[in-house]
Amino acid sequence: MNVETADMNTELMVDGNAIAGELEQIFGHDMTMAVARCAGCAADSMMATLMAFVRGPGAVLRCPSCTSVIARIVETPTATYLDARGMLYLRMTHAS
Amino acid sequence: MAALEWQLGTVTTIQPETPKTKSFYVALPKWAGHRPGQHIDLRLTAPDGYQTQRSYSIASPPELSGQLELTVDLIQDGEVSPYLHDVVMQGDQLELRGPVGGYFVWDVTVGGPLLLVGGGSGVVPLMAMLRHRAAQHSTIPARLLYSCRTPDDVIYRDELNQLAGSVAGLEVLITFTRQAPAGWTGYQRRIDAAMLNEVITPFGTSARTYVCGPTLLVESVANLLVGMGLPADRVHTERFGPTGS
Ligand SMILES: Cc1cc2nc3c(=O)[nH]c(=O)nc-3n(C[C@H](O)[C@H](O)[C@H](O)COP(=O)(O)OP(=O)(O)OC[C@H]3O[C@@H](n4cnc5c(N)ncnc54)[C@H](O)[C@@H]3O)c2cc1C
Ligand SMILES: [Zn+2]
Repeated sequence: MNVETADMNTELMVDGNAIAGELEQIFGHDMTMAVARCAGCAADSMMATLMAFVRGPGAVLRCPSCTSVIARIVETPTATYLDARGMLYLRMTHAS
Repeated sequence: MAALEWQLGTVTTIQPETPKTKSFYVALPKWAGHRPGQHIDLRLTAPDGYQTQRSYSIASPPELSGQLELTVDLIQDGEVSPYLHDVVMQGDQLELRGPVGGYFVWDVTVGGPLLLVGGGSGVVPLMAMLRHRAAQHSTIPARLLYSCRTPDDVIYRDELNQLAGSVAGLEVLITFTRQAPAGWTGYQRRIDAAMLNEVITPFGTSARTYVCGPTLLVESVANLLVGMGLPADRVHTERFGPTGS
């Protein structure tokens, strides 16, 4: 399987829906429909549709088009880290 | 804006659905309501402080207030589902937060035609949509294609039969992937292009589709639907992981 690398097992993969709660905790509202532009291939994906690996230490989100890492979320007892250097931007449509 | 808070609910009823699936009704005094398709995060805390968390879809429609129905498939070597199945009893408390997720949501204001495709416990959020549709007396054309291994594995079987027989514009199609009931004339194979094509034909590419279940099933169905010409933004997906595969 070409999308499999050492830290990726497609069968154990979920998607951005699985971390909707974490994202809402960080941003204060639902983020599943926010659109991330991948820094690797410039594809736009809703957060819900990102590949998600949630059973490691922290969560890893990958681009469904090119599989590069878009973001990582790590919880420690005292803080939440969001590493989002894999995205060019995140677009959040204003609530209508 | 209200922060997403962990809250305690009380298990009021536990109902077996299949030999390996149970529904848990959880009464939540602070629940603010939900939309069909949303889920909750459930958190377990061991006496030594170790915590673990899983997501579970809400099976009940928004029209049922004051409590939620969660339907959980038993994964033998799992961590959380065996605890829910074998340890949790009526009257126990569960810690959860939600509702979460805005993407995998359908209600009657979204419109149709509606094609729901589920595998195993992936039928759970789809059931919330169908229950909501029925409670609203909606006639939006809807079809559920539901992949099960054997007749014993059909979650909500009686209710699905009853809905399909009584509610206008709804068709329920089950495919059995391992063993079909005696005399079964419906589908008996994994969901493939030919099956999806037949199921979607009355709706065409205007269908709003929601695909949920084990990751490999969702991947394959979503790819097939997009390959059939459905715009990607009409194909909503939710992957449950290796569950039930
Ligand atoms: C948005 C969402 C909604 C969901 N809704 C429902 C629902 O309504 N009903 C339902 O029954 N389930 C649902 N699930 C699945 C649920 O969250 C759990 O994954 C499921 O209950 C299994 O949890 P567990 O702790 O029992 O098993 P786990 O301990 O997670 O194990 C599950 C299986 O995966 C294997 N596994 C898991 N992680 C690893 C790993 N890192 N390495 C190797 N093997 C691993 C285990 O060996 C086992 O076979 C949903 C998931 C998501 C993301
Ligand atoms: Zn990319």
